[in-house]
Amino acid sequence: MYSILFSDAEKTYIWDGVELNLRNDGRKRNDYRPMELETDVVTHASGSARLRLANTDILVGVKAEIDVPYPEAPNVGKIEFFVDCSANATPAFEGRGGEDLANEISSALLKAYDVLPLNNLCIVPGFSCWKLYVDILILECGGNLYDSVSLAVKSALYNTRIPNVKGTYIDGTNVDLQLSDDLFECWKLDVSKAPCFVTLCKIGEYLVVDPTVEEEACSTASIVVSVGENGSITGIFKIGEGSFHQNAICDAIKLAGTIGNELNKTLKLALEKEENLGIRRERYGFLK
Amino acid sequence: MPVDSFRVTAPFNTTDYRVYSKKQNELPKTVQKERHDGRQSNEHRPIVMKIGILSQAKGSAYVEYQNTKVICSVFDPREIPNKSEYSVNGGLYCEFKFASFSTQKRRGFIRDAEEREYSVHLRRALEPAVIRHQFSNFQVDIYVLVLENDGSCLAAAISCANLALANACVPMHDLVTAVSLGLFGEHEIIDPTYSEERSCLSKPYVNQAEQGQGIITVSYMKIFQQITEIVHCGIMHSSSINHYIEKLIAENEKIYNLCRQCLVGNILVHLREKKETEAA
Repeated sequence: MYSILFSDAEKTYIWDGVELNLRNDGRKRNDYRPMELETDVVTHASGSARLRLANTDILVGVKAEIDVPYPEAPNVGKIEFFVDCSANATPAFEGRGGEDLANEISSALLKAYDVLPLNNLCIVPGFSCWKLYVDILILECGGNLYDSVSLAVKSALYNTRIPNVKGTYIDGTNVDLQLSDDLFECWKLDVSKAPCFVTLCKIGEYLVVDPTVEEEACSTASIVVSVGENGSITGIFKIGEGSFHQNAICDAIKLAGTIGNELNKTLKLALEKEENLGIRRERYGFLK
Repeated sequence: MPVDSFRVTAPFNTTDYRVYSKKQNELPKTVQKERHDGRQSNEHRPIVMKIGILSQAKGSAYVEYQNTKVICSVFDPREIPNKSEYSVNGGLYCEFKFASFSTQKRRGFIRDAEEREYSVHLRRALEPAVIRHQFSNFQVDIYVLVLENDGSCLAAAISCANLALANACVPMHDLVTAVSLGLFGEHEIIDPTYSEERSCLSKPYVNQAEQGQGIITVSYMKIFQQITEIVHCGIMHSSSINHYIEKLIAENEKIYNLCRQCLVGNILVHLREKKETEAA
């Protein structure tokens, strides 16, 4: 895990601030930092998004490729998540340093995305299906990686366009795949069921939303809740070395449910708003 | 872990023949009130716990929930490898491994994503209980091997690792136990078996607001009343979490007593043996 140098006096300052419901950047305990989101930023990907949450910078690219479905699930497509903690973010990620964190995030995503139906991704049952490779690049770490990664992934999947491919059986069981003549004839994935993560960081006796790196250093344990459609909970796990009391965990999960629901709605509105700007909208990329 | 290039590995993409059997694929669409092994919905399978079963490890334990069999060994603290700066708290290195024949689908020798994920959950569950500043700059290695998986293997692994840690005399605040709860609509089943787990995670999920589907595993320290790790997969509504957690904690307290009995019993046996040898 990445860490920072931090003195006890600074820690006390943050603790006291959280207790007064006034954090050192002026936010309340349940406030998020401002986010910048842009989709369709990478040409060669089927879908992509870049999210900047204060200092956290995430770039996600989705590529759709054709694969053979699993024999135990012949009617569904596949999805796979890869996280790359770039050494640009912090020197601690150099070499294999970021591997543990990357594994944790990708396995959490895989579990949380269990709720997303992948039946549409099947082309010919038992023979071919789409496999979505979701590659996540962490360019900068400014705290709250889980939330920002999940939001960026959801936006990239929203942006993903999958070409129309038809499978026809020729001489009995051989399958022939036919790509439509117009390569721009695509369909979009339905991401309304896709979850987003809400991390609640325990600082002193209080739960804090969207922690900065400094705040993460003050807390002993956080709970990450993945929230799906209508505030349903689709996954829970704990990060950090500490533990929770029963009541704290129940409160945290309920709070995460409401916050996550709000977050999902806001994200949906933002994505629709961006799409309505049309294909010729102004692109910012990394220049902003 | 280095890859053993001399070992003859099985062909890369083989499948278990049972996948093609129709009966196997027909999952029970609901979890019945009557469970397939005749248990009540809040009844745990009988538990066997044994400690000190491996002579060369510092501490070891074996836990069996009927067909779920887990073995764990803990080794002496050693210096954290490849680390330059001093760390005040000692580390726990957890390795969770399925034996290659433990599940229906054969497991490879290299740890896969699921095993790596379980290793992380195991470490998170145990870290709060271990007094780590007593072995600064050192790490304790914990190896868990699932010999047979018939459901709730993560819960069994956490309880087993906790016994092995206690057996290895690693300083700890409290004992950690873990229990799984399977959810399927209005049915809540403690300690699901493998087939029940598969039913609970079968898709598509029932999407009714109040009803959940999935599996929750909670590890708990009884004296401190702290939840050290919670893992949930599936779908549920946030309003029912209180109820689930209370149920899991009640079950954890039962297992806690068993663990304590097992540890105390072991000490008594040792004392008796010592007395006998002294008398002889």
